[in-house]
Amino acid sequence: MTEKKLFEIGQRPQEIALPVSGSEPLDRRRLPFTRRHLLKWRSRLNPKTLKQERLLADKKPLWWTIALALLALSAPFLSNSALTIVSIFCIFSAINVLWTLIIGTAGIFSLATLAVVGIGGYCGAALNVYLGLPWPLMFLAGGIAGFVAGGLLALPSTRLDGLYYALLTMGVAEICRVFVQQLKPLTPYNGSINSVQGFIPKDWMLQRPGLLIGFAGAFVLLLLALLTFRIVNSERLGMLLQTAREDEDFAQASGIDYRKARMQVFCISSAGLGVIGAFYAQFYGSISPAIFSLDQLMLLFAMIVIGGLGRAEGAVIGTAIVVLIDKGLLEIGPLRILLVAAIMLLVTLWTDNGIAGAREQFRRWRRRKQSEARARRTEKGGDVMPEEAIEIHDKQAIYYRRFDKRLRDHLKTLITSELIEEHRLNPLGQHSDGLSRVLNYFRRGDVADKYAIIRQSGQFHAYKIVAFSGVRGAPPRLVDDKTYDGINEAYHAVFLLRLNDLMES
Amino acid sequence: MDLSILLVHGLSLAAIYGLMAIGISLLWSSIGMINMAHGASFAVAGYAAWGAAEVAKPLILATLGKTLSGTIAMAGVCLSAGALSGAIMGGLIYLLAFLPIHDKPNFAVRSLIVTLAINMATVQTLLWVFGPKQKNLPKIFGMGRIEFLGLSARYDQLGTIIGTTVILGLLLFWLKVSRKGLEIRAMMQNPEGAVLSAISVRWTALPVTMLTGALAGLASVLLSQTIFVSPTSGAVPLIKGLTIALLGGLGSVPGAVAGAVIIGFLEAIIGALPFLGQRYVLFGTFLFIIAVLIIRPRGIGGLLDKARK
Repeated sequence: MTEKKLFEIGQRPQEIALPVSGSEPLDRRRLPFTRRHLLKWRSRLNPKTLKQERLLADKKPLWWTIALALLALSAPFLSNSALTIVSIFCIFSAINVLWTLIIGTAGIFSLATLAVVGIGGYCGAALNVYLGLPWPLMFLAGGIAGFVAGGLLALPSTRLDGLYYALLTMGVAEICRVFVQQLKPLTPYNGSINSVQGFIPKDWMLQRPGLLIGFAGAFVLLLLALLTFRIVNSERLGMLLQTAREDEDFAQASGIDYRKARMQVFCISSAGLGVIGAFYAQFYGSISPAIFSLDQLMLLFAMIVIGGLGRAEGAVIGTAIVVLIDKGLLEIGPLRILLVAAIMLLVTLWTDNGIAGAREQFRRWRRRKQSEARARRTEKGGDVMPEEAIEIHDKQAIYYRRFDKRLRDHLKTLITSELIEEHRLNPLGQHSDGLSRVLNYFRRGDVADKYAIIRQSGQFHAYKIVAFSGVRGAPPRLVDDKTYDGINEAYHAVFLLRLNDLMES
Repeated sequence: MDLSILLVHGLSLAAIYGLMAIGISLLWSSIGMINMAHGASFAVAGYAAWGAAEVAKPLILATLGKTLSGTIAMAGVCLSAGALSGAIMGGLIYLLAFLPIHDKPNFAVRSLIVTLAINMATVQTLLWVFGPKQKNLPKIFGMGRIEFLGLSARYDQLGTIIGTTVILGLLLFWLKVSRKGLEIRAMMQNPEGAVLSAISVRWTALPVTMLTGALAGLASVLLSQTIFVSPTSGAVPLIKGLTIALLGGLGSVPGAVAGAVIIGFLEAIIGALPFLGQRYVLFGTFLFIIAVLIIRPRGIGGLLDKARK
């Protein structure tokens, strides 16, 4: 039998604490080999039911999955022309997603996106047509070409900023176009390279199966672009750059080499763009200098502007809108560019960051309106606001103050010159309903600052008005020096003072 | 190769590019806006001048005939129609791209996007209304050549050079002496300081946008003496003006003039060289500008620190 061990007060080795399961994660499963969860589940304790609940903190992955699945599943049921439009949408979305990586994540205002795509496409196509490179290696060739072009383009971006760099890249696009058109041995047919082999077999080109394969390829391309965006933007590189975006000096001071990170992002996305270029050449079976044209670039810019700069969903939504208008409404002619311009104008005038940012903007606006309403409500006159109510433990006091406020508001409406005249004629005695109510309210008031009549000692019918201090031992104070010659007059003076206080409360 | 032709050609190109570049540069330095719709102003002014000339031609022929005064009247009609429509476009740009957004965050990028949208919309509207067919303006300076001090120049080239010099001189004089010009210069030097000295941003921006629009309009009428008016005719002058404004350093008027002269002569020389020719003009100028920008990241006349933040 062990004897019970006694501890000195305050020396107990372990307190017994029941586990509080409030915010412990319910689901700890992670993606294998990573520290990521598939969905962002959060656990929280519901204070009303005292039960632990599971909350999906970020619903974006669900929307992405639904949208992409709908796109993939609906493709086989689309008509041939619709299938082409959807494929083009996928290709342009992939380009825009990678461009967003450059403009948004890296923060380099580059307009050479299509130029890099074109360089990749031309390299792949030329190698395939003239040297007989098999088509799967075209992607590699395009990627390497894009990487090299991106590296060359990225060099001046440390020295030039903003607009100057944008102009330079625009110049590069122009130079590429002229170069390609003039290089006769490479491009004998007015700058374009035709009959490129690709993942779509020759016989199926522009046939239903060919279109389906083309769509499948474009869809996979979009998925890969989104994956690249996810890996670059929300992992280490993107995090580094996010710091630099907010404050470059701070980022540098904390040891972040944001310039290097920018270069890396630029090169990665340029390699991706090169791959897309090779895909583009295979998809159409040819590539022409039109890819370097300014109009095409402006249309692409319109896409990411409408969707919202710096967001993957913005790039995709903007592309969907513009491609639908540009390719889907061919019969309305030049009007469709007008429509795109109008949408661009409206989006820029009304939203802060495109359509993808509209939801957040609406929430900000609603929060602002709510806080404005709250600020308006502080003109309260004794009422208790919900914010301060949580600090008052005696809830009776809250209700009393609310009741008092309403009572005063009501009494204020009763006070008229007839009522005052009635009181002056007859301070004591039978009163009308309104005057009785007002006087009853006055009689119930706090002792602090309550008025009283004091008779001047040694004089008959000479009265002054005092106000109680409300503190035991502290004498009342004289309200003013006026002396009243009759008690009724004094009663009425007190009444007027109280009325004044009521009206001002 | 005739050196005199080269000189005159280079000068006339420099004059037109200078008009465009100074408009862009002025707008950037005074209100911080890159006007991508400058090309649209250019095209609209070209069409307006064409329309005015079509209307006025029978009237002038009937009253004045083919005399010198008739030519002058025609020139006046064309130039004033171009300048007026350019100014109206400037007012439109002010209403759409400045007034609603100038106090919102990220104004520079926003206004760039809005003016780009205006540009796209205008070009498409012109294409829709007038069709892709090119129009040509009447030769307001007449046809012919003049020999002067051993130089040979076409009338239109000479007119362009002299006209631009006069216009730019008037503009700089106006900026120098007038009250509004003082306000604009104050805005260029220090926007916050200007606002604190009770200079209204809105009432300074309106004349600046209209003025730069009018400059684009004049450039359009002058350039349309050598090329045709078409819906997309604004694109090349816009790009040229923009690149020259950047080459000269955004916001620097002397820089813009220097850039225009350099690029004008560069184009004339590249176009005249036998082994390069016209098709390499854009190529060469871009290569040159890129080289300059890499050596001097803020252009020829731009300061190295942030001139406008």
